[in-house]
Amino acid sequence: MSAPSPQNSVRQRGGKENKKRGTTPQPSDSSLMNGNASEKVESIKQGAKKAVTNEWEYKVALAVITVLAFLTRFWGISHPNQVVFDEVHFGKFASYYLQRTYFFDVHPPFGKLLFAFAGWLVGYDGAFLFENIGDSYITNKVPYVAYRSMPALMGSLTVCTTYWIMWESGYSLPACIVAASLVLFDNAHIGQTRLILLDATLVLFMATSILCYIRFYKLRHDPFSRKWWKWLLLTGISMSCVISTKYVGAFTFFSIGVPVMIDLWELLDVDRKRGALSLPEFGKHLAARVIGLIVVPFLMYLFWFQVHFAILNRSGPGDDFMSPEFQETLADNIMTQQAVGIDYFDSIAMRHKETKVYLHSHPDRYPLRYDDGRISSQGQQVTGYPHNDTNNLWQIVPSVAMEGYDHPVKNGDVVRFRHLVTDTWLLTHDVASPYYPTNQEFTAVPTEEANGDRFNDTCFEIQIAGGKPDQQFKTMSSHFKLIHFPTRVAMWTHTTPLPDWAYKQAEINGNKNLQQSSNIWYVEEIPGLAEDSPRLQKEEKKVKNMPFMKKYLELQRAMFYHNNALTSSHPYASFPIQWPFLLRGVSFWTENDTRQQIYFLGNPVGWWFASSILAVFAGILGADQLSLRRGVDALDQRTRSRLYDSTGFFFLLWAAHYIPFFIMGRQLFLHHYLPAHLASALVAGAIVEFIFNIEPSDISNLAITDGKTGSRQQQQKRGRPTRERIAGQSLLATWAAAGVIVAVLVWGFWFFAPLTYGKPGLSVEQVLARKWLNYDLHFAK
Amino acid sequence: MAAQDVSATGTDLQGDARKRNVGQPNGSYVPKEAGDKMDEKTKQKTNSFLATLDDYEFLIAPLIFTALAFFTRMWKIGLSPIVTWDEAHFGKFGSHYLKREFYFDVHPPLGKMLVGLSGYLAGYNGSFEFKSGETYPEELNYTYMRLFNSAFGALCIPLAYFTAKELHFKRPTVWLVTCMVLFENSYTTISRFILLDSMLLFFTVSTVFCWSKFHNWRHDPFSPEWGLWLVMTGFSIGCVCSVKWVGFFVTALVGLYTIEDLWNKFGDLKMPKVELAAHVGFRAFGFIVIPLIVYTASFWVHFMILENSGPGDAQMSSLFQANLRGTEVGKDSPLEIALGSRATLKNMGYGGGLLHSHVQTYPEGSQQQQITCYHHKDANNDWFFYPNRHQPEFDAEAPLQFIGNGDTIRLIHAQTGRNLHSHQVAAPVSKADHEVSCYGNTTVGDTKDHWQVEVVSDAASNDYSKVRTLTTAFRLKHVDLNCYLRAGNVNLPQWGFKQIETTCVKENKPRDPYTHWNVESHWNERLPASDPGSYKSPFFRDFVHLNVAMMTSNNALVPDPDKQDDLASKPWQWPLLHVGLRMCGWDDHIVKYFLLGNPAVYWGTTFSLVFFVGMLAWYAIRWQRGYDELTWGQVDHFHYSGIYPVMGWALHYLPFVAMARVTYVHHYYPALYFAILCSGFILDWYTRSLHKGVQWGIFSVFYAVVIGLFWLFRAICFGMEGSNQQWKHLKWFDTWRIAD
Repeated sequence: MSAPSPQNSVRQRGGKENKKRGTTPQPSDSSLMNGNASEKVESIKQGAKKAVTNEWEYKVALAVITVLAFLTRFWGISHPNQVVFDEVHFGKFASYYLQRTYFFDVHPPFGKLLFAFAGWLVGYDGAFLFENIGDSYITNKVPYVAYRSMPALMGSLTVCTTYWIMWESGYSLPACIVAASLVLFDNAHIGQTRLILLDATLVLFMATSILCYIRFYKLRHDPFSRKWWKWLLLTGISMSCVISTKYVGAFTFFSIGVPVMIDLWELLDVDRKRGALSLPEFGKHLAARVIGLIVVPFLMYLFWFQVHFAILNRSGPGDDFMSPEFQETLADNIMTQQAVGIDYFDSIAMRHKETKVYLHSHPDRYPLRYDDGRISSQGQQVTGYPHNDTNNLWQIVPSVAMEGYDHPVKNGDVVRFRHLVTDTWLLTHDVASPYYPTNQEFTAVPTEEANGDRFNDTCFEIQIAGGKPDQQFKTMSSHFKLIHFPTRVAMWTHTTPLPDWAYKQAEINGNKNLQQSSNIWYVEEIPGLAEDSPRLQKEEKKVKNMPFMKKYLELQRAMFYHNNALTSSHPYASFPIQWPFLLRGVSFWTENDTRQQIYFLGNPVGWWFASSILAVFAGILGADQLSLRRGVDALDQRTRSRLYDSTGFFFLLWAAHYIPFFIMGRQLFLHHYLPAHLASALVAGAIVEFIFNIEPSDISNLAITDGKTGSRQQQQKRGRPTRERIAGQSLLATWAAAGVIVAVLVWGFWFFAPLTYGKPGLSVEQVLARKWLNYDLHFAK
Repeated sequence: MAAQDVSATGTDLQGDARKRNVGQPNGSYVPKEAGDKMDEKTKQKTNSFLATLDDYEFLIAPLIFTALAFFTRMWKIGLSPIVTWDEAHFGKFGSHYLKREFYFDVHPPLGKMLVGLSGYLAGYNGSFEFKSGETYPEELNYTYMRLFNSAFGALCIPLAYFTAKELHFKRPTVWLVTCMVLFENSYTTISRFILLDSMLLFFTVSTVFCWSKFHNWRHDPFSPEWGLWLVMTGFSIGCVCSVKWVGFFVTALVGLYTIEDLWNKFGDLKMPKVELAAHVGFRAFGFIVIPLIVYTASFWVHFMILENSGPGDAQMSSLFQANLRGTEVGKDSPLEIALGSRATLKNMGYGGGLLHSHVQTYPEGSQQQQITCYHHKDANNDWFFYPNRHQPEFDAEAPLQFIGNGDTIRLIHAQTGRNLHSHQVAAPVSKADHEVSCYGNTTVGDTKDHWQVEVVSDAASNDYSKVRTLTTAFRLKHVDLNCYLRAGNVNLPQWGFKQIETTCVKENKPRDPYTHWNVESHWNERLPASDPGSYKSPFFRDFVHLNVAMMTSNNALVPDPDKQDDLASKPWQWPLLHVGLRMCGWDDHIVKYFLLGNPAVYWGTTFSLVFFVGMLAWYAIRWQRGYDELTWGQVDHFHYSGIYPVMGWALHYLPFVAMARVTYVHHYYPALYFAILCSGFILDWYTRSLHKGVQWGIFSVFYAVVIGLFWLFRAICFGMEGSNQQWKHLKWFDTWRIAD
């Protein structure tokens, strides 16, 4: 038995009758009390004998499956010796860890840390950065087999775990084998777990969460025992590993959370089978679950972030995603190294943060009339220019007279800019810019005008993003917006280049929307500063500290923000509705010379089988509910409780790991279905047993369910574990079905194996033969 | 009906709720109650004037409330003579009905037709443009139009009163619920302008009312009254959905109720199967067929009124446009396309536009000139049909050569002279497809400019040897790449001006309408003009087409992360009354209106929703712990008067949280109504057994707070004249931008 006990899920609002059913004494007691002791003893004897032999069979099967799992996952793991698909990302991240340079990614750190750990174990220094798909591992001397062994190991263990889940849930051997084979001989699981990708970790720990929870649930009659605590905590830890790998783990929390809630609800019941719990006792149960399933997993989740921050102590490619305070905690940070305070009358070069163009001006003027007929001021052009140039230099001048030199520029100051080369002053006015009728034109005017009646138009206010009042304006570290003082527009630029009259340079204009994040500029350097200037000589800046929680919250926020921003389209992205039908795969890697390719695709036979079983299961439940509603009870209590509690739990797992993808706006791929596919394999195993193992006795007993004696006999039969119950009957039908299914699975796996392992190369006919649903395979001509 | 009302508000409601029992047909129960009532009545009648008032409360109270409602909604309604907020949209749409010009909008037509009707009654000729902030001209009686609109807002109040009665609340609660709707500043303000929200609210409220009536007649199924309320509910649903699609949420509420109801009946083994089938059949008719008829009828009228060509033409199929009066489409166009013809190509998918190109280039990919689909009609939509590169150069003097099925041609963009081109470059958004660009000119280019015409169907003829204007649907197959030209309602980013991405798809799906094109306008001096638009497009096709187009545009209303809209707000802000909305400019000389709710109502109802969840948990846990403290009558009352309103709230609120589109404060108003019902339920639940004096004592405090705050904030509804600093004291929070 795996999930909450029967009566709850079928309880209707009325409740009463069902409760009676629930309070029936344990069958063993009843049969003893009723004087059927001899029969009972006999059955126990038989059961025990059978159980021993059965367990033995189970173990042999587990061993065989494990060996096969390792064989399928590890065979030819060194091929291809090139960077494949997303190894580009996750290999790179491992290298960053090994080099301890800060990087940013939308996934939590656990899965990536494991790869880094694998790399560290074999002593790799992380020199190769996995830049492009197809880069050679051999010439770059990457221990890629060690890297890949990690997910392959976890992928193999996933198969064993699947088998074990079915075993623990009390399904018959053929059912266990069917479920395990669906994962074992699945090309998608194999393909995804042989490469440096996070999904192996994800799927394995998702499976162990289920297993641990089932073990925990089976110990429910022995609460707060050492084992009970052990499995509770292991459930929590497994779930924590899932969510620390990818946020899909939230679905695992949900699907384990639902049975936990049902279980708790039942513990509250005063008419509980094993006696009512007092409220303090219930509180203990609740608290234990909160600690085991929420607090501990969350602390572990935080722990991985602590490890992440502790390892990545040097500045790296992820700096830009973080705030300046955060960046100051990293060693060798450009900002901390190069930030120099800016004084008035310094000449500076300002750079736009997004497009990286310098604020630039040259003697050419705006054309009087643009192509669309609008008219310009014909003033001197102010543009954005991507390269270093003396025309990028602007002297920063105070708007009010100041005594002497060496006054630092501060946040909120109103300043003016003089273009050094042409001796003109930056200004903006109410003239439409070349491309945007709504935005103001930027231009530069000669000194006499700038100091004359246009003085006001040359005043700009410096607003440092996130800065405090009077904070010093520095190069590199101060990101600022330049707000025109009289008209309140922000200096802005974009990527559409101006026409030839401006040499295709970028347009600079005044943006009325001050909040826009692309208004940010920074000062790159003060070129005029002598090399030995005392302002450049600073004491070695110490790396600052920042409280862990503050760092964590900042990173977490950035991760969520960027995860939602992953909306761009990918040629092999797919929609969730396509996954159960396996309508499309993903091309991972190709090699033209040998006509080899890796096309990520499940075993179509297995996927279609598992998906159709899901439909069958939904049909069975629907039919049962409808017929129950009409007073027709076609299932015995035991079968129903298995169907609803155990198989229903697997079905919930599937739904929880699948349906939320429909409302996700981000880019989705077939591999997002893997956790749900594992759940569907469990359902498939269970339903195979259900279909091919309808007890003849049940059918004969159907007629007399109302009679008292009849029902009692049935109760006895139901009372025994499935394994014993079905031991007496012939499992022939189930075995035969399982045999056929596994045979077909193996054939499908074999047929698509060249696409999964990337070898051997296929001829045109062979490729065409595999384009079942018009899969977009390469080398089809 | 009067008897029904009397019994529902009778003083002995406590007993009433307790006595109610599911499954027990109590057709006899109502008269019995009424009988008791009569006894009481005769007893009391002897007493005093107050008693008389008490007896006639069912008449007096709603009359007073309604009078107040009309007063608050209509007082000084013409004060501001300028086009305020979305009047700019809905007034304009009303004008289109008066001018009978076809326009396109994301909302269904009923509300806007009513606006049009109000303009018609006001004697307005439809000539005003309704530019935002402009002063209304002399001849436009905008006061009348606003009055017409506000009547819908005012009529919500009596409906709320009767709904509360139908939910079996006691009298003080009924009054409180009515007061909360009546003295709600945001309801008042939104009802005073030419907007759809007052109608939406009215039909939402009326749907709930009809539903509660229907529910209370459940013990007497198939009676005339039962049937009447069934039909009325269906009619209301039809209306609410025809005003705004938000109406689908209240429809969902009624749907859930029906499912639960039928599920219970399905489990009732004593019910004859015929009766069960009748229940299902009646509901299907009332809740599905009638709303569909109303919804479809509103579109039918819409198409009937708008018979002239107007700004929304391009959203519709070419054939539809050709049937509009005054259109260019299909008028004097030569029938058959020949080489050298200039034409516009219309995508035949729902909401499809015209094949378009402009000088801007793709920022990525090939960086060649963009090809899009665009609804606006301009010269950039014109294309020349040219022979392919293997054929001799086009000669304007040569004998005419018609284009038919299987011909390979080139398409040349009239404005830039470039060829429609595709190549093995991933399209900018749909990366799996090939990019389509505009490249080369009449001489520069290659065979990648070749497109093969594959005729799919022709409404006029079975002869596919010629492509005909409007009627021929054809696909364009790229000869080299074996892909098909497609525009599938995917919007390009800002660099493509949010126009529709046009790509070349590899899959050969002959039935995909987004790969079907037809010639819309056609010019060729050498061909005789004819009238290909004489074929009518069927109503249902237009109906579906327009609905899909509405959905597509609705989905495109996503917020631009770079643009911060001052007016837009986030769903979490609404129940907390975190922000208001300035409905017009904030200059001193403008009469200013600020869309902000009554704080007591907003915060009170939000608190009650949280409290309700607590109540639910409390009773559930108590039940699980074996306390059998509620009678079945109470459970029933809790279920229908408590849980259903809360479900209504959730259905009207949560979808906005999940929705990606831009949201505004007024999207919360239908949900607020359900929250008000929920707060009424809670107060009623805890006070119904109290002594009458105590009850009235408690409730008068609530009345005073609600009315007092409404009074305090009255200026934001009735218009603020002069400097906004006069209302500085109302700016309780910085986000309530009543004063600068």
